[in-house]
Amino acid sequence: MTQQQSYLTDELKALIGQEAEKVEVTIWGMEKENLRRFVHAIMDPDPLYWDEDYARASKYGEIITPPIYCTYLNKTRPGTTDPISVAFQRNPVNDGGAGAGSGERRPGALPPLRTPLVRNLNAGNDIEVFKFPSLGDRIFSQQKYADIQERVGRDGSHMLIVTNETRYTNQKGELLCITRSSGIRR
Amino acid sequence: MTTRTADELRNKQQMYYDDVSEGQMLPTYVLGPMTPTHVFRWSAAIENWHRIHYDQDFSIYHEGLPNILVNGSWKQSIMPGYLKDLCLPDGWMWKVSFQHRAMIVPGDTITCWAKVTNKYVKDGMGFVELETGMKTQDDIETCPGQGVIVLPLKGGRSIPYPFVPPQG
Repeated sequence: MTQQQSYLTDELKALIGQEAEKVEVTIWGMEKENLRRFVHAIMDPDPLYWDEDYARASKYGEIITPPIYCTYLNKTRPGTTDPISVAFQRNPVNDGGAGAGSGERRPGALPPLRTPLVRNLNAGNDIEVFKFPSLGDRIFSQQKYADIQERVGRDGSHMLIVTNETRYTNQKGELLCITRSSGIRR
Repeated sequence: MTTRTADELRNKQQMYYDDVSEGQMLPTYVLGPMTPTHVFRWSAAIENWHRIHYDQDFSIYHEGLPNILVNGSWKQSIMPGYLKDLCLPDGWMWKVSFQHRAMIVPGDTITCWAKVTNKYVKDGMGFVELETGMKTQDDIETCPGQGVIVLPLKGGRSIPYPFVPPQG
C-alpha cells in the first residue's frame, strides 16, 4: 500500500491566520421588519425583540436582536445582476446554494483554498456572544482562516479540517459575537 | 409549536447560579413537528436558496437525501436562543458550540436540552458549563455540543452588559 501524499501543502499552511478585509454586511442597517421575519422563523416570541416598552424597561434599555442575527445579513446588494438567474443559466441543475452566487468573489471573502479536496461538509459551529446588536446598527464582519489541519480517516483517505473565524462588530467598533465554523474537505 | 410564549418570557423568574448543581438537567424546549413550511420560512428569512431546503424532487432524486432538510443555520440560531431564554432576564448566554451529526427532516419534533457539567464563580459571576443537544422524537442526537452560561448569584452583582469575560 502506498502512502498517500499530504494535502496540507505549504501554500495552505501559509493561509492559517490570514484575514480578509473587514466589510460592512448590512445594506440599510439593522431593520425592524427583517427582525420580525427572522424571529418568527426561529419561533422565538421574546418581547425583547418587538415590545418597545418592555425592552426599554429591561437591562438592555432598547429592542435587541437575537444573539447571532447579525451573522445572516451579508446578502445580494441591490442593483446586482440577479445571481440566481446567472447561476441557472450556467448550470440548469444548479443546487441553488453556494452555486447561486455570480461566481465572483464577494468582498470580505477569504481567498479560496487551492486543494483537490472539493467536497465540503459542515463539521460544527462555535459561537461566543458579547452584545446584542441594536436596531439601526451597521454591522461589520472580518473573516480569518483560524486553523487548517489534516486528518486521515479509517479508510486511509485524507481530509482537511478548515476552521473559519468571523468577528462581528458594530459602527462603534464594539464586538458583538465571534463565530467559528469548521468544514471537512474530502 | 414552541414551548414558550411571549408572556412566559416576559414573566420569567431568574435562574440563579445557586439554583443549579452539577448533573442537573435544565428545562427543555420542544419545537415541532417541523414541516416544509417551517423550513421554507427560515430559508426565505435568511435568503438561503439551497434547493435541498425547499425543492423535494431535487433533494431526493438529485441529491439522494431522504427529504428536504432542516437548515444547519437554523439549528445554529435555535441553540443560542434556547440558552438565552434559560438565562433571562439578567444572565448571559456566552458560549455554545456543536456538531451537526444527524439530519432533521419534516415530521421531526426536536427537543433542545442542557445538562450542567461544571460550575464556578469568577469576578462575582456564576459560570455554568453545559452539555447540550437537540434530539429528535426517536432519541437521535442531531447536534451534540457544549455551552457556557453566566448566571447571577443570589444577592450578587448584575451580569454586565455588554458582557465582558473575566481575564485569565
